[in-house]
Amino acid sequence: MDVGQMQRQWLDYTRSLFIEGFLDNQFLQLQQLQDENNPEFVVEVVSLFFDDSERLLKDLNFALDQQGVDFKKVDAHVHQLKGSSSSIGAQRVKNACIAFRNFCEEQNVEACLRCLQQVKQEYCLVKNKLETLFRLEQQIVAAGGSIPMMELGF
Amino acid sequence: MAEDRYETCSEGSACSQMGSNNKCKHVFDRLCGFAPSWNWNTTTTTTLPPPPSGRRIFHRDVEKEAFQYASSSHCLSSYYSVFVVRLAIMVMLAILIGLLTILTWHFTKIYTTKSLKTLAYDLRYELLQRPILRMWNILNSTAEITTAQVKLSQYVIRRYSNPVNQAEQVELYEAMRAITWALFSSKKALNSITINYKNGFVQAFHRDLKDNNTSYIYSDLSNYSMVANEMNSFSAHQAWNDKAIHGNKSAIWYREPLDPVTGDKIGKAMKIAPEDLINIAGLSQVPDGVASWHVAVSKFTDSPLLSAALPVWDSSNKSIMAVVGVTTALYSVGQLMKELVEMHSGHMYLTSQEGYLLATSTNAPLLTNSTKHPTLKMAVDCENEVIKLGAEWLQRAYGNHSPPSHEVHVENAKLGHQQYYIDSFFLNLKRLPLVGVIIIPRKYIMGQVDERAFKTLVILISASLCILVIGCVCILILTNGVSKEMKLRAALISQLEARRKAEASSNYKSQFLANMSHELRTPMAAVIGLLDILISDDCLTNEQYSTVTQIRKCSTALLRLLNNILDLSKVESGKLVLEDAEFDLGRELEGLVDMFSVQCINHNVETVLDLSAGHIILRGWCEYPNSCNGSPIFPLEQKKSRCIQKAREKQNANNEKRTTKRDNKVILWFEVDDTGCGIDPSKWDSVFESFEQADPSTTRLHGGTGLGLCIVRNLVNKMGGDIKVVKKEGQGTLMRLCLVLSTPTDVTEQHYALDFTDNSLVVLLALHGNMSRLITSKWLQKNGVCTIEASEWNGLTQVLRELFHARSPVHNNNNFDAHYPVTEGLKSKLLSIQDMKKPVFVIVVDIGLLDLSTDIWKEQLNFLHRYFGRARFVWMLNHDTSNNIKMEIRRKGNVLMVNKPLYKAKMVHILEAVIKERNLELQKRNNMIGPRTTTKEGELHEFLEIDSTHFDAGSSDDSDTSETVGSNPVSVDGDKQIELVARSPASSTYKINNCLVGLTNEHLEDTNNARKEESCQSSPSSSKHAIEESDPKSLSTKEPSQGGDSECGETHRAAGPNNNVVNGKNSLEGLRILLAEDTPVLQRVATIMLEKMGASVVAVGDGQQAVDALHCKLGVDDCRRDSLQKERNMRSQTEILTSPYDLILMDCQMPKMDGYEATKAIRKSEVGTGLHIPIVALTAHAMSCDEAKCLEVGMDAYLTKPIDFKQMVSTILSLTKRKTS
Repeated sequence: MDVGQMQRQWLDYTRSLFIEGFLDNQFLQLQQLQDENNPEFVVEVVSLFFDDSERLLKDLNFALDQQGVDFKKVDAHVHQLKGSSSSIGAQRVKNACIAFRNFCEEQNVEACLRCLQQVKQEYCLVKNKLETLFRLEQQIVAAGGSIPMMELGF
Repeated sequence: MAEDRYETCSEGSACSQMGSNNKCKHVFDRLCGFAPSWNWNTTTTTTLPPPPSGRRIFHRDVEKEAFQYASSSHCLSSYYSVFVVRLAIMVMLAILIGLLTILTWHFTKIYTTKSLKTLAYDLRYELLQRPILRMWNILNSTAEITTAQVKLSQYVIRRYSNPVNQAEQVELYEAMRAITWALFSSKKALNSITINYKNGFVQAFHRDLKDNNTSYIYSDLSNYSMVANEMNSFSAHQAWNDKAIHGNKSAIWYREPLDPVTGDKIGKAMKIAPEDLINIAGLSQVPDGVASWHVAVSKFTDSPLLSAALPVWDSSNKSIMAVVGVTTALYSVGQLMKELVEMHSGHMYLTSQEGYLLATSTNAPLLTNSTKHPTLKMAVDCENEVIKLGAEWLQRAYGNHSPPSHEVHVENAKLGHQQYYIDSFFLNLKRLPLVGVIIIPRKYIMGQVDERAFKTLVILISASLCILVIGCVCILILTNGVSKEMKLRAALISQLEARRKAEASSNYKSQFLANMSHELRTPMAAVIGLLDILISDDCLTNEQYSTVTQIRKCSTALLRLLNNILDLSKVESGKLVLEDAEFDLGRELEGLVDMFSVQCINHNVETVLDLSAGHIILRGWCEYPNSCNGSPIFPLEQKKSRCIQKAREKQNANNEKRTTKRDNKVILWFEVDDTGCGIDPSKWDSVFESFEQADPSTTRLHGGTGLGLCIVRNLVNKMGGDIKVVKKEGQGTLMRLCLVLSTPTDVTEQHYALDFTDNSLVVLLALHGNMSRLITSKWLQKNGVCTIEASEWNGLTQVLRELFHARSPVHNNNNFDAHYPVTEGLKSKLLSIQDMKKPVFVIVVDIGLLDLSTDIWKEQLNFLHRYFGRARFVWMLNHDTSNNIKMEIRRKGNVLMVNKPLYKAKMVHILEAVIKERNLELQKRNNMIGPRTTTKEGELHEFLEIDSTHFDAGSSDDSDTSETVGSNPVSVDGDKQIELVARSPASSTYKINNCLVGLTNEHLEDTNNARKEESCQSSPSSSKHAIEESDPKSLSTKEPSQGGDSECGETHRAAGPNNNVVNGKNSLEGLRILLAEDTPVLQRVATIMLEKMGASVVAVGDGQQAVDALHCKLGVDDCRRDSLQKERNMRSQTEILTSPYDLILMDCQMPKMDGYEATKAIRKSEVGTGLHIPIVALTAHAMSCDEAKCLEVGMDAYLTKPIDFKQMVSTILSLTKRKTS
């Protein structure tokens, strides 16, 4: 594939991610932070996010499986997840977390479980999308092109 | 009887009451209209059901009413209850009054009647008893006299028994006459005494009661022989008797008047016919030898006589010697009756058992005057009407069969037209039974009583009726009040209901609006993002680029509009909370002028801001109450002022502002004056209501929904002000509003002592708008700047020629005058200019002066370019000035371009730029010419341009509520604030750069680069100042950031498209930052961000570690100081280093120890050391209460996640700067 085409594809893909609301401004900021000193910054942070999120999700699963659900703990986990997801700009995960927290306040176990599923789903989605994106990037780099910059100055 | 009457009466009254009740009820029915239950009650309570037809009508009415009130059916039950209560009260009242009436009447009437009746009975009895007693007396006395006569006669006759000769016979008769006289004279009441001897001789005394004559009557003796009369046999009796009565017809009787007292003969004896005068009792009257009684009549008396006859037996009791008869007149009985009746009225009569009248109380004759004999009359034949009627009545009632006791008591006998009492008594004498009847008119006894009773009854009934009517009316009125209240209450309830509904619906509306705008924001964000992508694309042509930029601006405006709609719904729901923030009135006004200038140009209106007194804020703070800024009132077309009204910041060129200071409060007065169609005074109040417009036709002409003024009023009221329409002379509307604002307590009073006199500036104003040119020129002259005005191209060329041609070749004024005729004013000005030493010319040219429609403008530009070296050109651009022209102008080396409108701040910037330029020019030759400075130059003039274009963007948004908040435009959109404040630093930047490098013209074509800075809305340096200089002392406090700025310039070119990131790259150079963040992702991101800007970051995972890190660092702080100092260049020399970190970024929610706790611990450890390490909170909670909590525990600032790059940098800088300064 032609480098230019790939670049365009990358841009289109990124745009679709924004338009569909998977990512937001924050991700752009991450991209802007990436420079010669930290060439793999975005990937690094995102994989950090993946690790962190998976751990948190596991914890959440565990916490909600317990007989007496400790909502404080659940809330703290969700809060963390929300913080990290918003930091990389995974908007839909963040929104799911916000809903989750509301139910935590209500101490509604059933709704919490539902939300957990939703968060998981959103997380998987964004993970897949991001992985695809990174794959594209790798291909571009491998083909000798550079990642085009995009600017969404909200 | 009376009882009966009474009953009927009471019944009648009851009936009448009921009747009145019925009427009342009908009235009620009409009044209340509700009836069914009520009517049923009526029918049950009243004996007379209402006529069916009326009832049907009534029902129809009811149905109608019910239909009418169907909506408020729940009220019906209460209505019913009201009517039932009414009815009950009325019925009770009626019953009460009826009872009262009946009882009163009963007690007054019954007892009197009863007692009177007994009395009357007694009276009647007594009255009747007396004549009967009299009668009895008469009978008794008659009997006594008779008996006495008989006894005496027996005695005398026995003595002279068997008279042998005539002499003895005469002697006997003489003796008899004597004793008879004695008896007769002793009893005055006697009518006569007769003695009829066996032989037929009659002796009699007669008293005429009328003329009181007494006479002696006797028969002729000669006719009787002694022998012939001697008949002893009983059988002979009959013959004697016959002879005595019938055989004596031939006998001659004599009548001899006597002296009534003495009995002496007073007259001659006269012959009379036998039995002519009196009845002589004969043997026939005593056939069985016992005493007999009968009633006799005589010709001479008109009253009946009672006669008694007794036989005189001989000594052997075998033969009757003579018969003695005594008659007594019943006249005295009648007399007594008359007397009694005279006293008591009424009539009495006495009859025999057969019905013959014996005595009456009247003077009516008792005897019939028949031709032969007077006979007794029957009572029914009596001439007296009453007696006759009474007798007839009695006969009718009882016939001939009188009751066994013979006593009758009748109380209500109707005789004729009157009612009478009739009583009869029976006196049962053996020979002469008598019946006494008394007829007394009822009126005599009961008349008064009846009358009184009737009157009482009438009064009682009328009184009770009155009371009933009044009571009913009272009840009606009272219950009417109650029902009215109930109706009102029902109405109130329904209204409340309606209001709740209306509120709910309006709530839905607002919510819908809010939701809609919220939903719209997301796609708008995408649009803007995509536009940014497009802008970042390098392959756009200039036209495309400008178009896209325009779209971007519009999108931003649209987004802002959406935000404003959100704000609007916030205002409407009353949830808008105003925040106090400082603002500079002058800048706000200038911003407004910028905002509206585009619109104004579209409407062909000139916008002028005249702050002739200088800085408006100073005016606000000065001590004169109501000091007037004296800006001229411009007649603006109405549409324009409407726009301004909508923008809700009511200050503009046509506004008159007055400020009053009171304590710490400032009252800002605004006046909006227009020359539009005006508002009718009656609508002055209503125009402020929602959806109210002064005239419905305005909607057609000018559009609008009528919401603007309502929101304006709400906002003004919220700011503690007041808005009203005031009377205006002439056409149009004048609105006045005041705002009460508090002045900042720590006001650093700044006065721009703008004085350009020393700089010997000459400004040539070549502007289209007369007013703005005039004002600008006035203001400039006031500040010591010489101005020349020109309004069109020819004027400009003329002035230019005069200025430069007159000067440059030779200082020769003579030629000048000859060639160019100029006005006197201009000439004098030119003269004064010529006196100046080295004047600096600034030519402000309106782009509109050029002929843009054709290509002439290029030549015009070339013409002007000839003066380029000698004067500084400042170009006033229109907002729609095409890029070609701009490029061309720029190519010619004109770098000063400002967008219209021109106002003071812009002018000041221009002049300052020019002055500095000139100053630098002097040094220029000695300086190195660095290529990068040109960049800076480009940055400057672009900056000016950008600055104003942003206002353009704002101005297209004419319902911008964020501006409306008046005193705090800052809080709503931070971007704009930064822009606003950044304006003055920009020029400073310019100045500083020039300081280093000076101005060259060679690199001016470097516009491409400059263009990219379009989005550089706040370069780090300016944002730095923005924070630092929230008070307007920006121009003077520039020095500390010099180094940073130059650095900025240095890296500028390398930054490429990512200007806004890279620009601030090293702004945090040398800062040591401790980052406490548990989320690894965030930790990493923040670290990179900070490091990118040159800060050194130490990241820790929780609060405890942060506290520990701080403490252990504190220990080694001293030894590290040197190396740190190297890093941080000049800055460290002035700074007192006591803390290992310059700043801590603290996440609030962390495991082990959260941010609040950690902050508390740090602040605690700082106590006594005098240190204060700035701590910035990082939190995902975007609530203001979190902010409060953060500040409470000792944090200095507050950042929300996800971290906004610019905000973080500005926050950090503001905190570290503060420390430095």
